[in-house]
Amino acid sequence: MEILSPEEIIDGFKKALGNSFIDSKIYEQEVAVKKNVFRTIWVYVKREAFRKAVEHICKLQEYPHLAIISSSDLGDSVELIYHFTIYYGHHLEEISLGLRVNLPKNDLKIPTITDIIPGALFTERETQEMMGVEVVGIPDSRRLFLPDGFPEGVYPWRTDETGPQDILRVLPGRKQK
Amino acid sequence: MSFKSFKRALWVYHLNTGSCNGCDIEILAVLTPRYDAERFGIMLVGSPRHADVLLVTGPVGRQMVPRLKRIYEQVPDPKMVIAIGGCGLEGGVFHESYNLAGPIDQHIPVDVYVPGCPPRPEAIIEAVVKAWVKLEKVEQGVS
Amino acid sequence: MTMEKTKTTYTIPVGPIHPALKEPVRLDLSVDGEEIVDLDITVGQVHRGIEWLGMNRNNPIQNIYLAERVCGICCVCHPFAFVMAVEHAAGIIPPERAEYIRVIIAEMERIHSHLLWAGVAAHEIGFDTVFYLAWRVREEIMDLMEYVAGNRNTKAMFQIGGVRRDITEEQLPRIRKSLDYYKSIFNQLKTVFLDDTTIKMRTKNVGILKTEDALKLLTCGPTGRASGVAKDVRQDQPYAAYADLDIKAITPDIITGTVVGDVYDRIIVRLLEVKQSIEIIEHCLDEMPSGDILTEPKIAKLLNTLTKAEGEGVGRHEAPRGEVIHYVRLEPGRETLSTWKIRAPTYVNLMAIPTILKGGQIADVPIAFASIDPCISCTNRAVIVDKRTNKKSILSGKELHELSIEKTRKLKC
Repeated sequence: MEILSPEEIIDGFKKALGNSFIDSKIYEQEVAVKKNVFRTIWVYVKREAFRKAVEHICKLQEYPHLAIISSSDLGDSVELIYHFTIYYGHHLEEISLGLRVNLPKNDLKIPTITDIIPGALFTERETQEMMGVEVVGIPDSRRLFLPDGFPEGVYPWRTDETGPQDILRVLPGRKQK
Repeated sequence: MSFKSFKRALWVYHLNTGSCNGCDIEILAVLTPRYDAERFGIMLVGSPRHADVLLVTGPVGRQMVPRLKRIYEQVPDPKMVIAIGGCGLEGGVFHESYNLAGPIDQHIPVDVYVPGCPPRPEAIIEAVVKAWVKLEKVEQGVS
Repeated sequence: MTMEKTKTTYTIPVGPIHPALKEPVRLDLSVDGEEIVDLDITVGQVHRGIEWLGMNRNNPIQNIYLAERVCGICCVCHPFAFVMAVEHAAGIIPPERAEYIRVIIAEMERIHSHLLWAGVAAHEIGFDTVFYLAWRVREEIMDLMEYVAGNRNTKAMFQIGGVRRDITEEQLPRIRKSLDYYKSIFNQLKTVFLDDTTIKMRTKNVGILKTEDALKLLTCGPTGRASGVAKDVRQDQPYAAYADLDIKAITPDIITGTVVGDVYDRIIVRLLEVKQSIEIIEHCLDEMPSGDILTEPKIAKLLNTLTKAEGEGVGRHEAPRGEVIHYVRLEPGRETLSTWKIRAPTYVNLMAIPTILKGGQIADVPIAFASIDPCISCTNRAVIVDKRTNKKSILSGKELHELSIEKTRKLKC
């Protein structure tokens, strides 16, 4: 496994995904006294090529490290970012890779990656219950953090009408923001 | 009203209703050799049926309400309840969350409140002593 | 252990009832005689909706204090990662002196957390004397933290753009005295934990996690390093003052020569990390640059900058239990954060629990579960199904703890 530079990694993605590759961004920052560089790559792909992108990452690094899946409510779509890191184990060489996928709100489905990376189970379950995204093919789709009596159809991270506005516990005498 | 000596040792049971563990660590620090409450006879027990005093920490999450009530009923009379930490008083920093079911005294009666986030071990010892004095008064029939 | 009813669900608190435990977690174990065949975890009894509060009620500066209360034991790692993520998003660069002070506080927290764990692990085996010894030794670092930061827990040292309090010249002799104390007793601690025959018998070849499983299940922190996965954010993608130091991930083959991945290896990794932390603090005290500690001291101006900023950022930090990551997104014109995602290390390490406990005995459950250092109380409810008789039974937490102590007694004679 050779260590590529950020620009070479992005070129590799463009070749592997073709039209489904939408955009990319590199972020670099110098840290502390010795001014070593801290690098992050953001890659934006279409939903159809999502699994191919994950398999491409597995070619760059044998067991890529998936930290978490974060989700944002952008009004009429939901954006998921899969935070990977590659080239761990080498001093100053690790690169963070954020894989961005956009899902329209009338079709919130995304394929699972637990067959490639078994450790993604908890974070996919959390995305399912908190944002209302359906993960197709997940082996265990029970709720993770919310209690059993929590009302169905209420998704805590959404900012639209399915948010938890009605079940808040506001202190007496305090206006809700 | 002064007491010459306490008639017996005090056994406490600790219950965590969903706290961040800051208060739990300070409770445990009370029993270690630095503050050493065990030399006064205050002992932590593993079952609520042996306890005299219930120490409750944490904002009460929705799942923990039935457990809180059940453990309160298992502690035999006469008993005291101490609510430790700002979360038990009115939710603390989490006061507007969608998963909280109210402060502790909406579910069980509380005798001593200890504010702080987390309160210092000295404050917890003072709270236990206050509860002890109150318990002895109740046992002697003094109101 | 009495079986009063058959074919009904009973709950068994798996884990020590001693209050050092964090959140309640529920384990469902299926057993065949004494051996565990299958296992299921249920979490969620401590869900407080912190991310929702951060996105809808608080401005970013108030979120620092909310992030501190995610976990009261590791209360420096969450603000550290959060502050780095916001700075990454808004383009603020903290001064160099602040970076060094952040590292000193983070390493002090690592020492305190590992000593706390050492005491709890000894209690699980039945060695209460070692439990009290470890916590007595820990009081020295708590005093030091109170001297430097103002409080034992929840120190509130972090601010976006730097730190809130400085370490002055007059404080240095006191800090060095505490570090000398720890250096002098380190060899004693090592003898107590690593050379004791009973601890070796109870922890060797118990709770094994192989390297390949650890890589697939994304285990991080000392649990992963004890299984040979040399991931350490301070080594791989350094941040703050770690970028100037040359830190190596500690794996157990430094002392034993091979990597087995059992509980004994995890004890080795944590003890050696305490030594590494002491060396890091000393190096930082010697090399600390001078200068400001905050880029923007006035809070109103800082809040104004953050309300106008736009961007997204990721902050990663190596906490005592593993990797902590925060993701933050800022939108212009909005006072609260647009998106906030937190991931604590135990979130990931819990997925390794079925692999660790399967094939083991019920009496080993407390020590094997505590060896991943769960940052939330070790289980609260567990259901055991006996495959041979198809009976479910309950053991109270006390009985399970006693089973563990009984095993130690049997091994001794």
